[in-house]
Amino acid sequence: MSVKVNRRKFLKMLGWGGAGTALAGCDMPTTVTLEEGKEEVVSYLMPEEYVIPGIGVWYASTCTQCEAGCGLHGRVREGRVLKLEGSPDSPINHGNTCMMGQSGVQSHYNPDRITAPMMRKGGNLQAISWEDAMAELSKRVGPSSGVDGKRVGMVTGTISGHQSVLVSELLGQLGSKNHYVHEQINTSVWRTVCRDMLGDETPKLNFDKARVVLSFGADFMGVWGSPVHNMGEYAKFRKGAERGTLVQIEPKMTMTGANADLWLPANPGTEGALALGIANFIIDRGWNLVDVPARIRGTLKQYDLVTVEKVTGIEAEKIKRIASLLSERSPSLVLAGASVENQENGYDSVAAIMLLNLIMGNVGNTIGATAKFAEASMQAKQGGTKDLLLLAKALSDKKLDVLLTYNTNPVFTAPDVLQVQAGLANVGFKVAFSMFPDETTLSADLVLPIHSGMEDWGTHVAAYQPEGAVMGFQQPLMEPIHKDTRGFGDIMLSLLKLRGSDFAKFDDYYSYIQTSLLNMPSSIVTSTGSKEETWNGILQNGIVKTKGTTTPLVPKLVDVRYKPAANNSEYPMHLVPSARLGMWDGRHANIPWIQEAPDQIAKVVWGSWAELHPKKAAELGVKNGDYVRVTSASGSVETQVYVHKGIHPDAIAVPVGQGHEEYGRYAKGRGVNPLKILNPIMEKRTGELATYATRVKVTSVHKTGRLVKMGGSEVQVGRKFVRTISSSVFQRTEKEV
Amino acid sequence: MKIVTLKQLVSMSLFALAVVLLPATSFAELPVPSHITPPVGEHVGEDVPQPIEFPHNRHVKDMKINCMYCHTYARRSKVAGIPPTSKCMGCHKMIATEKPRIQKLTEYWEKGESPRWKKVHDVPDYVHFTHEKHIKKFVFDADFPVEDVQQVCGLCHGEVREMTVAEKKKPLNMGFCQRCHEANGGPGDCWKCHK
Repeated sequence: MSVKVNRRKFLKMLGWGGAGTALAGCDMPTTVTLEEGKEEVVSYLMPEEYVIPGIGVWYASTCTQCEAGCGLHGRVREGRVLKLEGSPDSPINHGNTCMMGQSGVQSHYNPDRITAPMMRKGGNLQAISWEDAMAELSKRVGPSSGVDGKRVGMVTGTISGHQSVLVSELLGQLGSKNHYVHEQINTSVWRTVCRDMLGDETPKLNFDKARVVLSFGADFMGVWGSPVHNMGEYAKFRKGAERGTLVQIEPKMTMTGANADLWLPANPGTEGALALGIANFIIDRGWNLVDVPARIRGTLKQYDLVTVEKVTGIEAEKIKRIASLLSERSPSLVLAGASVENQENGYDSVAAIMLLNLIMGNVGNTIGATAKFAEASMQAKQGGTKDLLLLAKALSDKKLDVLLTYNTNPVFTAPDVLQVQAGLANVGFKVAFSMFPDETTLSADLVLPIHSGMEDWGTHVAAYQPEGAVMGFQQPLMEPIHKDTRGFGDIMLSLLKLRGSDFAKFDDYYSYIQTSLLNMPSSIVTSTGSKEETWNGILQNGIVKTKGTTTPLVPKLVDVRYKPAANNSEYPMHLVPSARLGMWDGRHANIPWIQEAPDQIAKVVWGSWAELHPKKAAELGVKNGDYVRVTSASGSVETQVYVHKGIHPDAIAVPVGQGHEEYGRYAKGRGVNPLKILNPIMEKRTGELATYATRVKVTSVHKTGRLVKMGGSEVQVGRKFVRTISSSVFQRTEKEV
Repeated sequence: MKIVTLKQLVSMSLFALAVVLLPATSFAELPVPSHITPPVGEHVGEDVPQPIEFPHNRHVKDMKINCMYCHTYARRSKVAGIPPTSKCMGCHKMIATEKPRIQKLTEYWEKGESPRWKKVHDVPDYVHFTHEKHIKKFVFDADFPVEDVQQVCGLCHGEVREMTVAEKKKPLNMGFCQRCHEANGGPGDCWKCHK
């Protein structure tokens, strides 16, 4: 058959052929999970009535990704937890979660979970049975171990609820007072100042009542306090009848700083002087709402605008503007965070900053009292870096024979000069209760794999209780993935049982928690209904609302003792070991979603970088992607540069969290750890490690590479996606903000 | 030499298509429900040995048990579901207890385990398929008699009443789905299935 085809027909036929090709494409067999008989499908033996395969059931629990204690709802399908969302019933997070909470499933399903107990034999960790592991543990800390309790130590992260009771009980039985509570990211100095000047360590911060928030380095939307709660409050502050104004003063722009109306980098370590300058100006103008004793006025006099401008590098005009904002837009809320707290003069600076709250009458207004959980033994024991220093000292002084570690990784977070890793060699027997092979766990002699937060029971009393004293209740969302992991509470309980204590009557941690919660005294909860109803209510809500005790705040002006930090000509730059929501202190470096989520400012993924001001970068002759060496008196790290204006010209920010030497496939060998090169400087009054006080020098190593980050360009290349005008033009044409 | 018009070309194509499709439809014994244009496509499935050689033919053809009696989740969920072992035992505590396959099932039951069945019908993870919507459209919304539901199930699962263990008889690929969606007014948006 010969066919005469003209161009028009040819195109039409091509059209038909094209359609055929497209459909044939849809019929191509695919190899993705379509092999017949390769996957298994296992039915329920006897399903619960409400369980329908394919349809999720939501259970309430509590997040364990950081210490904030947010309520969670977990979607469970076919016996597997698939999705986590915030619980609307929780007064801490009101139905919201942050990226760390969302990525909890990747911690739970992480392929690098430890699946069997391990014991060090001939220098290597080798799998052993639980029976042998518990026998070993009993040999070291059991009743017939003959161990001197004073030489037993325990390091944990922030701990609360029943876990805290069990830990205290065990250490009490052993006669040990060595409970080190370590958190790299903390608000220890702020809390101490709050205790001294307000009479409450964790006062309630009413962002919604404030008309202006002045934050000295408090990244309250990132890693300061209870971030998810703060973000909700911040939204109210911004979306109220009048839009609140946020002023952020910090050496390196954080996520909070990026949201600010006015962002100012004061010379690092001089923020206290700036606060005193503002206070002096306010008092000078008679704008203060609370009287200030002559003694304090006298000290403040030396902080005149000229001096403060010279010390802090912030123009007098800006200082005046902040002072008038505080006065015109009272009530305000003044906060201080990591970059101020963790200087050598941290306490005194925070005290100077708190002075602003006191003289502007914010106490009892934007700063209120919080209810505390009525049972003191279950309140949060909050960690800081002071205990890290104490631990390092105990290790080097050979004061410990047995060390138990849980939920903290001091080998990773401790600066090299503290020699924690080497000091651990002085401890005869180290036990790690851990989910992952992190640096501390792999230094242990006995490794006990524990359940994930989604496999275990638990109770959590958050340190910051913004709306009434509540206890977060954690229930398993699924059966343990690995057959050889155990709950931390269960292990503690079996250790306590060895000594025939009061705990002998509990079969397991679950029955202990249940009995305790169902028999709480009426001073803590008002019980209504039967025990079964109460218990079902706890399981359904994931939260136990308690009465709590509230003590009113007692504001107290303390003497100004602030002194600016000394200069250092050999190491001219300030090292900012910045932290961000997500990576936190590095505990989430083994979560691919967190690694993949770009840094909120630098947009870098899966690695480390150093933030430099364009001026400094030009001085050093480096551009984005070039490598620099950051050297302190205690060591050096080498990483790529990210140049941007959101940093003080004399500061270099290297984010915390990467640089793991262990910790599984996603974290190990990635980036650098700036904590390693910190100098052992103490905050003078609290004894915390002054993590922002290390001075460094920066040199180019004349090597370049591609900085892996989301977003190719920082500018719009003239395309006007977002129309902007400069602030000077705005102020001329639209009047002052 | 002959000049083919577009009209001729179309009719030739359709004829060719019909020739290809005829054998597929003419030998099917299950009647096709009149309100459905059946999806087109055949697949020669592999033999998949199962832990217990479950006789679908015995249950469906001889005993006339409705598909949804055992696959009870089909109308409520995205998956039809393998019946829980307790459902099997509901009958087989009493019925056919002397048969070796039932004895094997009873062994599982007494150990407190479910058999680990091998999956035969599956779509890739990037495909969202739901039984519930299909049963709703073709059975309940269409007032199709539920007792004849196997005619609807059979469109994608083949003549299960003639099988012992399930065999894959239809390709269950995108072309198969797409043609049926076009013919029966199913959604055509990519994200309806790929979400």
